[in-house]
Amino acid sequence: MIVIQAAIAGALTGGLFAVMSVGLSLTWGMLRVINLAHFGLILLGAYLTFQLATDLAIDPILTLVITVPLLFLAGATMQYAFDRLALGEFNSLIVSFGLLIIVVQVVSNLWSADFQRMDATVNPYATRALTIGPLAFPLPTLVAFAFAVVIVGSAHLILTRTYPGRALRAFAQDRPIASAYGIDHVRLGTLLAGATGGTAAAAGMLFALGSAVIPTAPFEWVGIVFAVVILGGIGDAVGTLLAGLLVGAVSGIVSVVVSPAAAPLVIFSAVVLALMLRPNGVFVRRSP
Amino acid sequence: MIRRGSLAFLAAAAALALLAFVRDALGFPVFYLVFLSSIWFWTAQATSWNILSGFSGYFSFGQAALVGVGAYTTAVLVGRQDWPFLATLPVAGMLAMILALAVGGLAFRLRSLRGEIFALLTLAVPFILASLARILPAIDGGQGVVVPTPDVSDIVGGFQELLYLLGVAITVGALFVAFLVQHSRIGWGLFAIRDAEDVAEGLGVPTFRLKMLAIGASGLIGGLAGSVFALQIGFVTVEAVFGLTIPLFVIVMCVLGGRDHWAGPLIGAVIVVTLQDRLAASGFEGWSMVILGTILAVLVVLAPDGLVTRIRRRPIAVGLAVIVPIAVLTLADLGDGLIDRLAVGLAIAVVVAFTPIPAWTRAWVRARPSVRGATAADQRVTTADRYLVGTTVPAARPEPTPVDPAATASTEGPGPHAIEVVQVAKRYGGVRALDGVSLRIEAGELVGLVGPNGSGKSTLIGLLSGVLKPTSGRILVAGRDTADLEPHRVAHLGVARTYQIPKPFESMTVRDNVAMAKMFGRQPVGLEEARHAAERHLALVGLADRADHRPSGINLHERQLLEMARALATEPQVLMLDEALAGLNPAEIDQAVAVVRRIHASGVTIVIVEHLLRVVNQLATRIVVLDQGRLLAEGEPTIVMQDPAVVSAYLGRPADA
Repeated sequence: MIVIQAAIAGALTGGLFAVMSVGLSLTWGMLRVINLAHFGLILLGAYLTFQLATDLAIDPILTLVITVPLLFLAGATMQYAFDRLALGEFNSLIVSFGLLIIVVQVVSNLWSADFQRMDATVNPYATRALTIGPLAFPLPTLVAFAFAVVIVGSAHLILTRTYPGRALRAFAQDRPIASAYGIDHVRLGTLLAGATGGTAAAAGMLFALGSAVIPTAPFEWVGIVFAVVILGGIGDAVGTLLAGLLVGAVSGIVSVVVSPAAAPLVIFSAVVLALMLRPNGVFVRRSP
Repeated sequence: MIRRGSLAFLAAAAALALLAFVRDALGFPVFYLVFLSSIWFWTAQATSWNILSGFSGYFSFGQAALVGVGAYTTAVLVGRQDWPFLATLPVAGMLAMILALAVGGLAFRLRSLRGEIFALLTLAVPFILASLARILPAIDGGQGVVVPTPDVSDIVGGFQELLYLLGVAITVGALFVAFLVQHSRIGWGLFAIRDAEDVAEGLGVPTFRLKMLAIGASGLIGGLAGSVFALQIGFVTVEAVFGLTIPLFVIVMCVLGGRDHWAGPLIGAVIVVTLQDRLAASGFEGWSMVILGTILAVLVVLAPDGLVTRIRRRPIAVGLAVIVPIAVLTLADLGDGLIDRLAVGLAIAVVVAFTPIPAWTRAWVRARPSVRGATAADQRVTTADRYLVGTTVPAARPEPTPVDPAATASTEGPGPHAIEVVQVAKRYGGVRALDGVSLRIEAGELVGLVGPNGSGKSTLIGLLSGVLKPTSGRILVAGRDTADLEPHRVAHLGVARTYQIPKPFESMTVRDNVAMAKMFGRQPVGLEEARHAAERHLALVGLADRADHRPSGINLHERQLLEMARALATEPQVLMLDEALAGLNPAEIDQAVAVVRRIHASGVTIVIVEHLLRVVNQLATRIVVLDQGRLLAEGEPTIVMQDPAVVSAYLGRPADA
């Protein structure tokens, strides 16, 4: 029973990983930018949620009204600059590493380097749980899971059903041809990066909902998020959700059955295996 | 070069070590020793990073893993098992090296590995080790490990002296290793990997082995310096050794200092440590990461090649920019101690180094070496011309039989065929790129490989050069099955290829591009000999007067000729030219055809893939036609080209058929 509980709870936590990963995966796949600063945006989202909810005494989820536009702007500006500077995939990785460090340090200077947690009066979600029979699920993970389904679902619909989405996918497959057909990649790229900034705001809020925030948190996320991105297939929104659930469930089970220390090892091995056997992602349906 | 370098490094180590003993007499406070020890630690870490990531281009974000393994090994063994410190040093180095080799052994075996994926994998390693250390009580358990100060013998002096001397020994050793790597075939191989890895492998460079050597050396140095670091900080915690400060620092140091030179990390470390020290002294420690992050982002965009190349362009100006301000400030007694003055000097020097050279000095500086270069180039042109006149190019079609004794020597009698392809099939998922192709290529032939797009020509070339492995069937090169051979071993059997889109090693001159291939040939030779031999191959393709240019400075036609010269330098039995004439104008095509004839006349078997049937008909002794992954026809050019099947494959079937 405890294993089932751990697996389901883990899979639900995986929803948070999916929300964190989906933006990174899409900008990597579509725009060829590996944006480590995405983790910085998530961190900012978490701290802004913490600060706004505490100061204004509003429901933490409502802070999205403010944080989503802010981080949309941040993500879009960053992508516009990357595009202007013509940074390749690799240089974007290094530059955004520098940006991530800057964000972490600034956050640490502004909010102190210690753990901070929203007060129970501000954050009604942290202490509640949904009980079904013998199984109990903390409310924050349920909320995160719901957000993951909504965000990934709408990303999938936008990419497959709308003109900008199809244009982006065309651009991801063949840049020169797509440009020749009149696809304005600067505008689309900026738009997509802005949207991923918005998902970062959501991810930050979801993280703050269930955990205490600390400036160095991004470095805890990096390993798992990249595992999710690579297992899900770079640029594949639905794959990211499935991979998030899988990674969450596996680390939940391993933590209970073996030890929490073993979870990252198992996930890391899974990534290496995936890279060797399925370099295009575990859930790819079509042949490459 | 190497001998002089060894002596210089030995002398530098001795002089630096001496400082620890005469410090008291000179009246330097012990604080300077601490400052220098910090520089040694970072220089060693940055050098460790640079040997792998700077030289081979595989960026690692995982330097903290090496520091962590080194530091925790020493901390646990000294602090909990009561080992003497010096005994833990080699253990720490070995364990870090084993970890590095394990990561490399896994990562570098991945076929799909790209630089970005490697960087992300290495980003995850310290994170995993940190969580292990935090949870396992035998290592840390979450409280940190105290490293007691060892008893220091009187000869060394005090504890700070011991740290300083260990730092000097490890750092000078690390720099020396980097120096050796850079000036040996290993370094050239690593640079080639950074520029174009698959090409390097195809030319005979054992890329996997070289990368493992680099990552192993990197691990050893990182672990040794990490072990001393444990002693230096006295209390090892997960946060202190596995944090992101370490990768950020080493990457900034190397990008700032310059990644393709052993001295780059040293220059970067001196500057960054001084900056960090001054920021801390003036109360801005909290912003140092912000400043370093900014420096990194700006440098990657604006000056990714770093300081070292700029300093080498005008060493005197930069040297003066460091020394003069320090001297002036000392005489005027301004600033708070030596490090303040050093910081000012370094800052001015960095500004000077990054300032573009004014036009008039540039003209003056360039005037001197170019005079020598020009005359040398002129001489080469004349030798090349003489060579070209000497080899009479056959005006008519070359003989269809081997023309050179060298070529016939390897295939006397009914010996092995130059290449034999037996029932080879290659599938990608459900797609059959090649299906049951059998083919023989004899020494001395000039085979034209033709077929419509998607007929499997490129797949066949890939299979023959060993980059691809057949799904079924066998490929024999000189009688040897190549199924389990890495591409560089196939290259050593005597198969070379060129690429349709030329992929030169962009960081090397045209001559060194060819010399590279020579250095990693069947009989490895040193750099000087390889450069000498390169002249011959450049002359054969008519590129002798471009030898000192960078690949970016020559045109497409010349880049394709460079591809041929580079392939020839591996001394192939069989040379495969993959659409070497694509995109050329008619005059260039004629010239390239003449070069191909010359190469063939020198005894090399040639397989030429080409869409220009006129050229193939003219050149080839035999034609092989592929269509939809199958062998459609082969034989005499004139006969094959009239084969109805071939005509319909190329032009489509008649409408009424």
